[in-house]
Amino acid sequence: MGIGDDVIRMVPDRLKVQYPKLSDFSQPNVITTTADLVFAWARSRSVFPFTYGLACCAIEMLSSGFAKFDVARYGMEVFRPTPRQCDLMIVAGTVNEKMAPVLKRLYDQMSEPKWVVSMGACATSGGPFYDGYNVVNGVDKVVPVDVYIPGCPPRPEALFQGLLELQKVIRQYKFVPELPEVPEPAEPAERS
Amino acid sequence: MAREVGRVEITMEALFARLAADFGDGLGELRVQEPDTLVAAVERRALHALAERLKAHELGYETLNFIAAVDHVRHLEAVYHLYSWHTNTWLELHVEVPRGTAELDTVTDVWPGADWHEREAWDMMGIRFKGHPDLRRILLKDDFIGHPLRKDYVDRAENHPHV
Repeated sequence: MGIGDDVIRMVPDRLKVQYPKLSDFSQPNVITTTADLVFAWARSRSVFPFTYGLACCAIEMLSSGFAKFDVARYGMEVFRPTPRQCDLMIVAGTVNEKMAPVLKRLYDQMSEPKWVVSMGACATSGGPFYDGYNVVNGVDKVVPVDVYIPGCPPRPEALFQGLLELQKVIRQYKFVPELPEVPEPAEPAERS
Repeated sequence: MAREVGRVEITMEALFARLAADFGDGLGELRVQEPDTLVAAVERRALHALAERLKAHELGYETLNFIAAVDHVRHLEAVYHLYSWHTNTWLELHVEVPRGTAELDTVTDVWPGADWHEREAWDMMGIRFKGHPDLRRILLKDDFIGHPLRKDYVDRAENHPHV
């Protein structure tokens, strides 16, 4: 499957008429598309996850990286231990109150654009420790979360489904930010 | 001077008799709990002097392995797990601590490794160790209020205000 097939399928029908057809170009090896679609397509297939294992979910996360499950199939195998090189934070495990400011700081150190996946019951809602004296009930109280994965812990397949859902989120990312709507100038009041 | 390790050949009965003879009432209710473990109740005011004597003793309880803190509701208890590399035996010191004024003398000057264990006992159970060089919380945040492993601890939102 070429790059064009996937991208063209994602173009809404109402937009297709606005672009010239490929046959309009005399030169070969030229495609035209929008920058958003190409960048989002590429970005969703080369995600760099941040190794943020906090508890037993981390075992499943590591297991998903090994040969039996192999997250490399989705272009995400390069787990990085530094936030500077990552654009996805997989929060795998219980977030406690002492860890929360650290997590926030590391999230802030990641460069834009960035996404967060909350893996497992603990990171999503506190899980079995929801009434603990030192547990943050959900990582979404600290950082914004894009995808929640249920399970205690989720199997690697569940993590993969979450990551595939995340790819859909990433593909909606606008490379060029939308301009704010400019209000139309008010018509001058008619003079009587 | 470091002594040769594991050279004291002694049976548990002889060890029991030896400790009872040398320390007398200092190790109250001394008893054999496991094949290699002796348990003794210790008066809290005598703890520090006893610790120094035990470390300097010929049987060599030179290692403080762990300090545990227990909430017995009526009172608190600190348990010092000592290990002797010369006899390969354990000695547990059970120290009763009153709830109201939960204070103990530090043993960091005897066993420096007691530092973090005493900080944890302070953090979780609220036992204050007099003479500790740096008695801060070790696991919870510094602005946490209360000692959560006590049985009467009630978790309230104001105990952790920053969340």
